[in-house]
Amino acid sequence: MTRILLIEDDTETAEAILAELGDRGFEVQWAGNGVEGLARARASSPDAMIVDRMLPGVDGLTVIEVLRKEQVRTPVLVLSALGAVNDRVRGLRMGGDDYLTKPFALIELVARIEALLRRPSDSRETILHVGPLELDLIERTARRGERRLDLLPREFRLLEYMMRRSDQLLTRAMLLEEVWNYKFVPATTNLIDVHMGRLRHKVDGSGETQLIHNVRGSGFVLRSR
Amino acid sequence: MQQTQLIRSSTFLWALAVAGSFALFVVALFAFIYWKLDAYLVARSDRMITTQIHFVAELPPARRVSAIADHLAQDSRGVQYAGLFDAAGKRLAGNIDRLPRELGLDGAAQGVQLDLLEKPTAHGPVVRVVGSRLEDGDVLVMGRNVDETREISSVVGQALALGLLPAFSLCLLAGAWLSLRAQRRVEEVNQRVQRIVAGELRERLPEGGTDDPFARLARIVNGMLDEMETMINALAGVGNDIAHDLRTPLTRVRLALERGRTHAATLEQLQDVADKAIAGIDQSLAIVTALLRLTEIENNRRMAGFGDVALGEILREVCDVYDPIAEDKHVGLGVVTECNVQVWGDRDLLFEAVANLVDNAIKFTPSGGRVDLALQAEDETALVRVSDTGPGISEQEREAVLRRFYRSDKMRNTPGVGLGLSLVAAIVKLHGFRLIIGPAPGGRIEILAWTGSAGRPIARRSRALLHAEAGQMG
Repeated sequence: MTRILLIEDDTETAEAILAELGDRGFEVQWAGNGVEGLARARASSPDAMIVDRMLPGVDGLTVIEVLRKEQVRTPVLVLSALGAVNDRVRGLRMGGDDYLTKPFALIELVARIEALLRRPSDSRETILHVGPLELDLIERTARRGERRLDLLPREFRLLEYMMRRSDQLLTRAMLLEEVWNYKFVPATTNLIDVHMGRLRHKVDGSGETQLIHNVRGSGFVLRSR
Repeated sequence: MQQTQLIRSSTFLWALAVAGSFALFVVALFAFIYWKLDAYLVARSDRMITTQIHFVAELPPARRVSAIADHLAQDSRGVQYAGLFDAAGKRLAGNIDRLPRELGLDGAAQGVQLDLLEKPTAHGPVVRVVGSRLEDGDVLVMGRNVDETREISSVVGQALALGLLPAFSLCLLAGAWLSLRAQRRVEEVNQRVQRIVAGELRERLPEGGTDDPFARLARIVNGMLDEMETMINALAGVGNDIAHDLRTPLTRVRLALERGRTHAATLEQLQDVADKAIAGIDQSLAIVTALLRLTEIENNRRMAGFGDVALGEILREVCDVYDPIAEDKHVGLGVVTECNVQVWGDRDLLFEAVANLVDNAIKFTPSGGRVDLALQAEDETALVRVSDTGPGISEQEREAVLRRFYRSDKMRNTPGVGLGLSLVAAIVKLHGFRLIIGPAPGGRIEILAWTGSAGRPIARRSRALLHAEAGQMG
């Protein structure tokens, strides 16, 4: 069972996160402040941590910094009410692996934790395989079974990202940040949907099993089966 | 309290110092004059008595007595003294009672106390005397009163009293007046500033009609206050706008929740209500996020993320991102970058600005129209143009569109937060570039950027630009 340590001082937020992650089959420990969180992180070595940035006593970034100095490489998701780009950059520089600004959707939190737990394995691979899909990163070609997919560069990039994270929920925010390198929320809210629609149209031909799935209200999944 | 303040005020102290040094100088001048005059008078007396003693000594002994008597008789002021004594010191002629013991008889003039026959004054006069022993053994003494110098000194003293004292007092008075005046003005300014601090933003400092430094300073401060008032009013307006814009989605959420609570009978209905509520809250959050982003950019004075940015690349990327959106709406999207221009700026922010412009353009262009991006370069400037075949921005709306939350009535039903253009304006301002809104029909917005070394010093927040912005905000 995957064990997660949550360091968050707001009881209601913590309870909601605990309940949601519990439902999804994680074993979650909760610490209400930085000192306790640090102690628990050392004692139980969890698989991933969720750390609120603003904590009474020792703040979240300091907790992460201390752990990183002790060579603890547990993936960390930083939660913060500070959403400015600079805050975010600082949070990641101090050793956080991902950064989520409050308020957030629970599904977004779960998706990011799962992404952290399943980091893309070997990025030196030059040919990716997911189900019937095959992506040649050197030749820049894509095929589904025998059918060759004619992809635009941006579609190729999107498919590559999804194939590296197959069977994971990818939220719109994740795709915007990672694939399009957006540092802001675009005014057109369905920007990702339109791009995904194009890609899906090419990947899932008529009569074929649908590989790209739209998860209502949250994001997309590329299913390998 | 008032008095000690007056005495301590620097204006007054300066006046005091000037008056003091002026007085010192004048006293020194008068002392010098007195000393020179005295020396001159003594020298003249000495010459006179030496001449006289030679004259008398040369006379035959018999005529000396009568000559001395004549000499004294001619002196109506009684300043001449003469005496002829025999070898034993007995007086033969003249008005000197006794031969002064300390007098040298070598013919050199000396200042000596004389015993006179008649003692007109209480104190013995200061006298220059020359004595000479004649060949027959008699001693001839001639003298002259030099008490005139004392008179001169009293005249000088009077002159000092008459001239210096009034001048000195005048200096002090002027100093006191000036420092009082300065204090009064400072006090007035202080009171007005206190009123401004208390929230009376209309208050201004007194400028006066004159052109003295104080008035000029007041004018400068008033100019600053004008700008701050505009800005504060604009901010207050923004506060209202935020409240109004947040109300709409929150009202929807509230209504949905309220109705759902009483009417939802099945789980699906309740979930539907919850979905609506979440959508409404997300919209409110989007407004808050956009606002925070705007504030972040507007407050970001640091140029940490600045570097050389290729504008053409940004345009092509934006085009790439928005191509499918435009296609879905049946709007043509094209990009023409005739050159590769580099500007000094924050790549992510410039991308955001161009993306916002294109986003807007596609949103307001009816299906079948076109949106075009172009990059032109000339000497030191680069021009990014986003033009479309939509309705454009009318003359009256041109300033309003840059205001936060402005949406023209015909756009009311278009989704969006209404912060897009203010965001673009903030980014453009941060870079020191210019945002130009072209005339309708057809939308045309341009960003005028500085290339080359001219673009580097971003501190070019020229006053003209600031005023233009203030006008747009107000």
